[in-house]
Amino acid sequence: MDYRDTPEEAAFRATLRGWLTENIPAGWDKVEDPEAAARLRRSWHRTLYQAGYVGMSWPVEYGGRGLSATYDAILNEEAGNLNAPPLPSVGYLGRAIFTYGSEEQKQQFLPSLLSGEVQWCQGFSEPEAGSDLASLRTTAKLDGDHYVVNGQKMWTSGGQYADWCMLLARTDPEVPKHKGISCFLVSMSEPGVTVRPIVIASGEAETCEVFWDEVRVPVAQRLGEPGEGWRIAMTTVAYERGPADIGFIATYRRTLAKVERMAAERGLLDRPETRKQLARAYVRGEVLRLNCVEQLAARVSGQQPGPEGSVAKLLWADAEQSLQHLAMDILGADELTGVESGWLSSYFTSRPVSVYGGSAQIQKNIIARMLGLPR
Amino acid sequence: MRALLSDEQRMLKEVAGQIAGTSGPVNPGDLATLDRSAAWRALAQAGLLALRARDEDGTPVGSGVEVAMVAEATGAGLVPVPYLGSAVMAMELLALAGAEEEAGELADGVARAGVLLDGNLEGLAHLPGDGPWYGWDIDGADHALALLDTVDGTRVVRVPLGTGFAGADGADLTRVLARRDAPIDPATLQTVGDPLTAEDLTRWEALALAAVCADTVGVMRSAVTKAVDYAKERVQYGVPIGSFQAVQHMCAEAYVSTEAAASATNYAAWAVDALDPEEALLAARTAKAHCAGVAREVTETVMQVFGGIGQTYEHIAHVHTRRALTNRQVLGDEGAQLLRIADVRLTGE
Repeated sequence: MDYRDTPEEAAFRATLRGWLTENIPAGWDKVEDPEAAARLRRSWHRTLYQAGYVGMSWPVEYGGRGLSATYDAILNEEAGNLNAPPLPSVGYLGRAIFTYGSEEQKQQFLPSLLSGEVQWCQGFSEPEAGSDLASLRTTAKLDGDHYVVNGQKMWTSGGQYADWCMLLARTDPEVPKHKGISCFLVSMSEPGVTVRPIVIASGEAETCEVFWDEVRVPVAQRLGEPGEGWRIAMTTVAYERGPADIGFIATYRRTLAKVERMAAERGLLDRPETRKQLARAYVRGEVLRLNCVEQLAARVSGQQPGPEGSVAKLLWADAEQSLQHLAMDILGADELTGVESGWLSSYFTSRPVSVYGGSAQIQKNIIARMLGLPR
Repeated sequence: MRALLSDEQRMLKEVAGQIAGTSGPVNPGDLATLDRSAAWRALAQAGLLALRARDEDGTPVGSGVEVAMVAEATGAGLVPVPYLGSAVMAMELLALAGAEEEAGELADGVARAGVLLDGNLEGLAHLPGDGPWYGWDIDGADHALALLDTVDGTRVVRVPLGTGFAGADGADLTRVLARRDAPIDPATLQTVGDPLTAEDLTRWEALALAAVCADTVGVMRSAVTKAVDYAKERVQYGVPIGSFQAVQHMCAEAYVSTEAAASATNYAAWAVDALDPEEALLAARTAKAHCAGVAREVTETVMQVFGGIGQTYEHIAHVHTRRALTNRQVLGDEGAQLLRIADVRLTGE
């Protein structure tokens, strides 16, 4: 057991740090215009790709470097520490395509996914299919060598900037709900695709709803077999909550440092209660980090992702939301009277952490299954 | 970065689990009849009492990771032996002081020692000073170790338990506790080994805290397992109560708190010998803050899942709760740890 870097990992980390210091676009987090921010994310993706930092843990034959997920974790950690723009999340989509895709699909989609030339979004949830994703109603009906897609998707993050979508739709309404779903790779520029931003409680357009009206998709763009969509989605989700995606931990630490400074500026560090609250926030962050580190080690040693991810998800939501509570408590009236700005927005941004990617209640259901509790 | 046990560590964990798994009470009534010395002999024979003895280079035979595995196993089994008091806390004091002979006796299991804690159980007794004091985890021991300030520095001293101590009605039914109110005359105390440095004391506290955390993780894990098993079998309204989402979520929450405690504790245990003492102590305080913060809630949840039967004296649930509540207090509860963490992080003390 050793929580330290191996010599190879340490060398990689040192090189990476140097590279990040030189390449992080100055002032990226001050960009207000959403279009400009999207362009910046795209160009950041290309910069990372050219330096070999995208898809490091992918197999070499698909353009990756075949490294262990530890390297992805180091990238996430250092990028977070140095306040880099968010890293592109290509892992889950790539895994779905190279696990279930045809040779043609792999050739067509993987290189541009990796390089950032093509941006993707995920068309899973629907207005009537949130936690109960398998009850989704969007349909794809076979018509010759095309499927015709009709329906509505919700919570399609980045939908307004995406070129392509990994879409789940019902191809067989006659079979049990989990078995009648197929997965498609669809261009967002097809006629009949309409994207509308959803403004969340913070006032920001964080995500989208997407309408699909008689959208024609070639059969060759179905990923996997008909009816295999649920399995593909579950693989995707398991890797989406991957333990290497620990950038949020570094972000959490940066936020905590800000809250600590804020408490100091307001002369609150003499209050034992505030000291305890700040220390508790530190403890929550550490516990989360160490839980993720253990899961990463299990993954690197060959274990497939399982329901342990639910533990980390619950710890993360609790840590993030508690930290935002603490920030609000320290600010007192100032955040509510417009004297301070920004923290109310991050408070509201922390609320959906216990909803997206499987709500806290769904995570507890998953854990209950894992414990063998009866349905 | 590999937060995984080695093959040797997994084997040791198995051995500790086998011994501890058959040495604890199934029901509280067993505590009166259990052969406590058999468990102690088995631990001694497996070399598990000698982990903090030093080899020729002065390196501990076993690291904090090994100690934590044994502590977790004895905690999980609610084993009524002074593993923490004698084999970890007293042993490490003697080893740090270079008292090889005395440490060797503890390692063989032929002698036992407890530790003397302050009146709030928050720290090792620092003499001279005012009581009360508690001899903690002193089963089979005729003395407890404490610290004494002398002209040579801080020294380890033996405080005889034979006179001036009265058995205390401790909440934890698996450990022996004695209280002393009468003043302790430093002149009568026998010093052991060499004076301890500040670094020694920091290292000791890191190990002691990590071991208490590991014991607590064991107590919680086995309690949650028992509650989950019960929820699968107990039928009400014609179905197992574990099929109710309310019960499932209680179990899931207890499981998450416990696994998070284990993650923090594993790191603290590794840090004891791998990191600088100050860093090791911060890791240990972090683990203790979390463990102490969840120990009461987790064991209460377990009692709740067991329903009426879980509230009775005949049921094992309260034995878990009692050990968890005491562990929570020993060497400082969540609030105490948080204030010390704040000192380090906010004021750099």
